[in-house]
Amino acid sequence: MDAALLEQMLLGALLALSVYLPLRCGQLSLATPGFYAVGGYVAALLSTGVPAFAGTGATSPLPALLVEMALGGSLAGLIALAIGRPVLRLRGIYLAIATIALVEILRVLNLNLPFTGGAMGIFGIPQPFAHPEGYVLFTLVLLAVACWLCQRLEVLRLGRAMLAIRDDELAAASVGIDTPRTKLIAFVASAVLAGVTGALAAHFLNAWNARVGSFDASITTLAFVVFGGSRFWLGPVLGGLALTALPELLRPVGDLRLILFGGVILLGPLFFPQGLVTAERLRWLGALLGRGRGRRKPLAP
Amino acid sequence: MIFGRLQRVGTGLLTLTLLLAGCGSDAGNQPIDLSGGVPVGAVLALTGNANVYGQDQKTGLELALKQRNGSGGINGRPLKLALEDSGSDEPGANAAFTLQINRGVLALVGPTLSQQAFSADPIAQRRGVPVVAPSNTATGIPEIGFFISRVSAQSSVIAPLAIDRALKLQPGLKRAAVFYAQDDAYSTAETTIFQKALKEKGLDPVTVQRTQLNDQDFQNQISAALREKPDLIVLSLQAVDGGNLIRQLRELGYKGLIVAGNGMNTPNIYPICQKYCDGLLIAQAYSPELDTPANGAFLKAFKATSGGATPPQLTAQAYTALQVIGEALERLDRRQPLSAATLTAARKELMAEILSGTYQTPLGEIRFTPTGEVIQSQFFVAQVRMDPGGRSGRFALLQ
Repeated sequence: MDAALLEQMLLGALLALSVYLPLRCGQLSLATPGFYAVGGYVAALLSTGVPAFAGTGATSPLPALLVEMALGGSLAGLIALAIGRPVLRLRGIYLAIATIALVEILRVLNLNLPFTGGAMGIFGIPQPFAHPEGYVLFTLVLLAVACWLCQRLEVLRLGRAMLAIRDDELAAASVGIDTPRTKLIAFVASAVLAGVTGALAAHFLNAWNARVGSFDASITTLAFVVFGGSRFWLGPVLGGLALTALPELLRPVGDLRLILFGGVILLGPLFFPQGLVTAERLRWLGALLGRGRGRRKPLAP
Repeated sequence: MIFGRLQRVGTGLLTLTLLLAGCGSDAGNQPIDLSGGVPVGAVLALTGNANVYGQDQKTGLELALKQRNGSGGINGRPLKLALEDSGSDEPGANAAFTLQINRGVLALVGPTLSQQAFSADPIAQRRGVPVVAPSNTATGIPEIGFFISRVSAQSSVIAPLAIDRALKLQPGLKRAAVFYAQDDAYSTAETTIFQKALKEKGLDPVTVQRTQLNDQDFQNQISAALREKPDLIVLSLQAVDGGNLIRQLRELGYKGLIVAGNGMNTPNIYPICQKYCDGLLIAQAYSPELDTPANGAFLKAFKATSGGATPPQLTAQAYTALQVIGEALERLDRRQPLSAATLTAARKELMAEILSGTYQTPLGEIRFTPTGEVIQSQFFVAQVRMDPGGRSGRFALLQ
C-alpha cells in the first residue's frame, strides 16, 4: 500500500475520532471540519510567513511542526470554548444545525480575511518530512495517543459521565453530573483534536484553502462515524480508515468506482445500523481472542 | 478485561499499518517499463464540480493520443496514456498524482484546477516528474519548480484583452460593474486582474458583487449592481453560475456589454444562458477559426468524433499538452534511446527537452520560458453569436 494513501487514511481516522468525542456524550456536532480548517490555517500561515518555522534546509524543522500543532489545537479549542456554552444548550438536530452554521461562518471568514489568501488559499507550505513515510510514522504516533486517551475515557470518571449523559441527560444531571461542563469538555477536546490534525494535514497537502472546511466535509466525517460505529473508539477509527481508502482502492473498476463507493456507504448502515463496531461484536471478538489464548496456555510447558 | 484485549487488537492493527507503510517503495533507478508503450499519465477532474472541464480535456487527450500513435508513436513505439480521475478536490489530485508516479510514468498531464495544482504539483516536483498543465491559469504555477510547466496562458495575459476590445467597440464606456465567485480560486484570481485592467483604463468599477460558486439565484447582487447604472459588466465566473447570472441580468433589463473570463470560454454555456449569451465578449487562448495546418488537422479530427461541433479551448489545450510531451519524447528518444535510460534520468532529460522545443499546435506556435511558463504567439477575442433558436451558437473571432 502506498504511504501517501495511508497518511490520508490516518488523517481520516483522526477526524473521525474528533466527531466521535461529542457523540460519546450524545452531542451531534458537525463542527469538526471548521476546527480542522482553523488548525490548518495556523500551520500554513506560520510556516509560510515566519522564517523560523519554514527552516533553511530541505525540510522544515520538526519542533516548528509541534508548535504549530499546539497553537492550531489551542486556537480551535479556544473557539470551541467561547462558543460552546451557548451552542451546547441546543440538542440533537438543533445542535447539528448550529454547528453547520459555525462551519459556514468559519468558511466565509477564511475566504474573506485579508491574510488567508482568499479562495486560492495558502500554498507552498514547507515539508517537515522528506517522504510520506515520515508523515505516516508521525501520524501513527498521534493516532495511537488519541486512541489511548479515548480508551482511558472508558474507565475515567469523565468518560463514565459522558456515557451517562448520552444514555439519559436528565438522569445524569440528577445524580450530580455537571452536564454542561462535561459536554463542553467533549466539545473542546473534539476541536483540539481537529485543530491538531489540520495543522499536520496542511503540511501534508502542500496547500490549504477554505474548501477543506465545507459542509460536504462535515457530512464525510460524520459518515466515518456512522459507518464505523459510534459506541467505541475503534469504530470511528475503522470507519475513517476504510472510507478514506475505499475510493482509491476501487480505482481498478474505473468509472464505476464512485457508484460502488456510494453503494458501500448506503449498504453499511442498512446491514450494520449500529456501525461496524458494536458492543456485542467487541464482546464476541474478545471471547474469541480469550478462547484462543485459553487454548494456547495448556500447551506451554 | 475485554477492553484490555481490545487495546491489544488496536495496537496490533496499528503495527500492521506501520508494516504496510514500510512497504512503500520508489521506482527510482529502475529502467523504464516500455512494455505496451511509452508510459505517460494524465490526471483530470472527471467527477465533482469541475467534471465538465475534465470531460472536455479527456476528448483532447484521446485525440492527441490517436494522432500520435497514428503517425508512428514515439519512433515506432506507441505512446501509452494512463488516465486517472482526481475528483475536483486536492486530496483526490494528490492521490492520483502519487499513483501515476508510482506506476512509472515519464510525464504527467494535469491537474484540471489551479487549486489542485498547488497541492499536487509539489509531489511531482519532489519526485522529479515532468508536469505539463493543460488548464491551470493562476499566477505562480510554473514557479512551483523546474518540473512544472503549462500550455495554458495565465489569465493576467489574456483577460485584459477583452476589456480593450470592449472599449474599442464602445469607446464611451464609463461605469463598469464586476461580479465574481468569492469561494472559487479561479474566479478571485481573475477578477483581480480584470479590476486592475479596468483601473488602468480609467474605468474604476462602480460596484463589485460577490457570489458563491453554487449559487443559482443572483437577483440580490444584480439589483444592487443595476442600481449603479453600469454600461459594462465584467464576470469572472464558471460556466454554470456565469450562464445563469447572464440570463438573469438580461431578464432584469440590462442591455449593455458583458465581458466574461476564461471560465465561460466553453460551448457548455449555450444551453444555460441560451439566446441571452448573444453578444458576450471573451478573450481566448484558442480560436477554432485560427487558420494553420496544426489547427486544421485538430479541427478535422475533433469534428470527425463529435459530429461537426467546434472544439472548446480546454480540449485544444489538453491536445496541445500531450502533443508537446509526445514531440519532446520523440526528440529525446532519438538523442538517447529510452530503452537504455533509467526512469529518474529520463524524466529529468524529458523536462529539459520539453522546455527547449518550439511546437506548432492548435493554439498557434508555442514555446516555454526556462521556468516552464508558456509563450504563446497570439491570443483572440471572440463574441458569442447565438443561432436564432437560441439553442446553439459560436464564438465568432473578432479581427
